[in-house]
Amino acid sequence: MTAAERCADLIVAELVAAGVSVAASLPDAWLAHVIDRVDAHDRIRHVRVAREDDGVGVCAGASLGGERAALICQNAGILLAANALAGYAFHHQLPFLVLAAYRGSREDRYYYQMYKGLVTEPVLAGLQLVHHVVETAQDVALIGDAMREAFLLRRPVVVLLRRAALLGEEA
Amino acid sequence: MAIRRADAARLVRERLRASDIVVCSLGSTGRAWREAAAPNLTYWASDPMGTAPALALGLALALPRRRVVLLEGDGDLAMNLGVLLAIAGAAPANLRLAVFVNGRYETGGGQPLPGGEGRSFAAIARGAGFARASEARDAAAAASALDALLGDEGLGLVALHIEAEPSPYPADPGPTSQAEDRAAFQRRLAEGS
Repeated sequence: MTAAERCADLIVAELVAAGVSVAASLPDAWLAHVIDRVDAHDRIRHVRVAREDDGVGVCAGASLGGERAALICQNAGILLAANALAGYAFHHQLPFLVLAAYRGSREDRYYYQMYKGLVTEPVLAGLQLVHHVVETAQDVALIGDAMREAFLLRRPVVVLLRRAALLGEEA
Repeated sequence: MAIRRADAARLVRERLRASDIVVCSLGSTGRAWREAAAPNLTYWASDPMGTAPALALGLALALPRRRVVLLEGDGDLAMNLGVLLAIAGAAPANLRLAVFVNGRYETGGGQPLPGGEGRSFAAIARGAGFARASEARDAAAAASALDALLGDEGLGLVALHIEAEPSPYPADPGPTSQAEDRAAFQRRLAEGS
């Protein structure tokens, strides 16, 4: 088993422990093992969406029906889905988790990712959405805390996962 | 000849089971459904525009023992056609979609939707992977298509062609907020409505 696969096991175990039963996803290379495990898990109904705001809607609908839900995507998806996130946070007040690969931060290696690292946290602050940054796989308990926090706040809470949290020592 | 929006809502109402949950998108479709005064538990999806189908998908996944019927406007669906791919992929057997189609943004003042005159939401749905999707352009076809949609098993979509009828914003926003309506919906759901 690779370090990335071990990280994915820890993250998905935390999602299941947090009660997540519905997950929507769009791929990112850093998230590949997480998404594969979510798709294979018998306690999670996994929906592949074509845009992140669809994933926000799926999670909101699942939350409306009493389930715990998570959107798994790259942080670019947070930028794209800003209106949907704000609408379900403040207009509907429905809680769910957004688990996002934090591309474009200091450990990234691609020019085209870097703008996302610059603007993601300021956009989340502008949206008045609580977020947490998971630095390594040892800190994945934040995922369960964030889900509980989302439920108490009646709005989505965002967890940004750095490269080391998703790929382990391969980072 | 296309039917009136209110008649389309009535045709849907007449065919629902008492246990069906309706998710109703924003704008003129929502106003027509309110006027239909159906007894079914209804979630008024409101804004964000374009996300009602995804919301209905999530609700259907959360409540596999209940049938969820989405009443959707063509403007809302046009905003996010890719959601049909997600719905077809998940293919929940308890989800149905009825799309009110007149090619206009009625609440905004009747501006035309993008696309050519031959646009077909049923064809787009079939292309996304829906096994059942049909187009109804008059009253008889609408009744027949809804009979099939709500009488048969499995995911399906009907595009109901309706007349252009102005449907401006109501003057009064109503007594309750979306969050209050959401809480009331969840209470009724928990009580078995």
